[in-house]
Amino acid sequence: MSTADPVIDVTGLSRSFGGRPAVRGISMRLGRGEVVGLVGANGGGKTTTLRMLAGLLHPTEGRGTVLGADVTRPSQANHKQIGYMTQSLALYPELTVAENLAFRARVLCGGDQAAQVAVVDNFALASVLSARVSELSGGWARRVQFAASVIHRPALLLLDEPTAGLDARTRQDMWGWIAGLAAGGSTILVSTHDLHEAERCPLIVHFRDGEAEGPFTPETFAQRSGAATLEAAIIAEAGR
Amino acid sequence: MSGRNILAVAQVECLRLIRSRVTFTLLLLVPLLQVLLFGFAIRPEATSVSVAVAAPTPESATNVVKALREDRRFRLVGKVAAPGGAERTVRSGQALVGIEIPELRSFSNPRAPNVPVRIIVDATNPSLTTAAEARIEARYWRELAQQADAGGVGLKIERLYNPQGRADWTFLPALAGVTVMIAMIMLGSLAVSREREGGTWESLQSLPLGAGEVLVGKILPGTALGTLQGAIVLLIGAGLFDVPMRGSLIALVALLPLFAATHLAIGYAISARAATQLAALQGAVAFYLPAMLLSGFLYPFETLPRWAQLIGNAFPLSHFIRAAQGATLRGDAAATVLEHAWPMLIAVLAAAFAALVFRPRAQ
Repeated sequence: MSTADPVIDVTGLSRSFGGRPAVRGISMRLGRGEVVGLVGANGGGKTTTLRMLAGLLHPTEGRGTVLGADVTRPSQANHKQIGYMTQSLALYPELTVAENLAFRARVLCGGDQAAQVAVVDNFALASVLSARVSELSGGWARRVQFAASVIHRPALLLLDEPTAGLDARTRQDMWGWIAGLAAGGSTILVSTHDLHEAERCPLIVHFRDGEAEGPFTPETFAQRSGAATLEAAIIAEAGR
Repeated sequence: MSGRNILAVAQVECLRLIRSRVTFTLLLLVPLLQVLLFGFAIRPEATSVSVAVAAPTPESATNVVKALREDRRFRLVGKVAAPGGAERTVRSGQALVGIEIPELRSFSNPRAPNVPVRIIVDATNPSLTTAAEARIEARYWRELAQQADAGGVGLKIERLYNPQGRADWTFLPALAGVTVMIAMIMLGSLAVSREREGGTWESLQSLPLGAGEVLVGKILPGTALGTLQGAIVLLIGAGLFDVPMRGSLIALVALLPLFAATHLAIGYAISARAATQLAALQGAVAFYLPAMLLSGFLYPFETLPRWAQLIGNAFPLSHFIRAAQGATLRGDAAATVLEHAWPMLIAVLAAAFAALVFRPRAQ
């Protein structure tokens, strides 16, 4: 995963909550356009890692850079290049889809109309633009949230279980969008519990008890555990 | 109805109550606050009404001064002033009651005009001064009965600002502050905790927004609402209840945005420490309950013990009430009304600082 001009280059990132370590010694080096799946059991440290990379949490230990900026001192300029899709629905339910998108566009790309039009087209949102988010189904709401997270065409996209609770069609759409963004140069980290989906990622990092191992290709990870599939390998790792 | 089911639900509810911090606040903190305030601070009757005395000579006021000093419920302001001085002291707000003793007719001064003793009362808050008036009057007639030669000049009581002693005139200008305070502190405390529970706060944190930008952006709309709300209460007071608007109403309305912003910032600071919306609301109640009790809204400020007045002065509501009653009843000019802006300005800066220092992080 070494690249000459890394988007993420961190070493030994650790984070504790009240003395209890949540993430220990994460190291990662990712270049432009790479897609990495973060897999592993609940509480393994995937979300904490994403939040540190997003600049929402300060690491208690470690060093490195995200998009060239010190990971321990996240800057506003850096936030403009990062898209972060949280597990929970992070849209204002009282606002319409158009109003939610307009807010993100104003903050992230100076109200760029073209950017708003592009996400409406790319994610086929025209039919729900005037609907309030509270009126949308779960699938549509996640679609809007994804669109809002990438409205500024981020260089780094951090997705925390973006497909949880979605139907098969919307999941397929979402992976299509992820592939499209990666092809455009965005580096993408996707946390997921769906291991069939994780197999779509060229590389995966396995999290367990706050420690990460990898990256591996899904096939390599499965072979390493002597399992036939990624899912079987993860279950075998969890039982160790 | 199954007893076993009821017990199962009750057991779970017990565990939840015992393990919730909200229970601690509801069952212990708020009642403790009420017991302490009502037990130690609240005295419905004025314990120390400030009185200024004026007379042609200090000697002619000797009996009055002695009587006032004997009564612990009066506090003499300054020395005996020249005629007119007591009224000036009341009008300047330094005393609630002024006693203007005229030149009394006596054997040694038989040509003195037969004019009554004037009692000038700041009737802005009649619940405070009515009892004082009655005590002074009773004392006067008792003294007169004991000294039949003193000459029955009589008493003339002049109530300034609120001659009919209308309680609604006292309460309504203050109510403008109370309604804005409660609404804004609730709004401020919910603004963040609602987002945090709803899941949008973490996303907001990931945007290129400074903590100060979020704080000011969240406070601005509420400030406009609070200003409108306060102005409507004042208008209703004037239109429906004939509350006089004798002073600078513009200055008072100009204070409203600052007052509203102060409480929004305090609410925001509370929400920074609150894990849930319910906890934030409890924090808001824990703030505005003592504010209402110690600001002079429910009980006259002058009836509070000194320590409670010191705490009361820390609440922006105390200053707003003085400004509001000054701008409406007392006819205070803009400069006098705006003097009350300083404590609010200090409060809003302190609250904003606290909100930023303890700014809520994503969970």
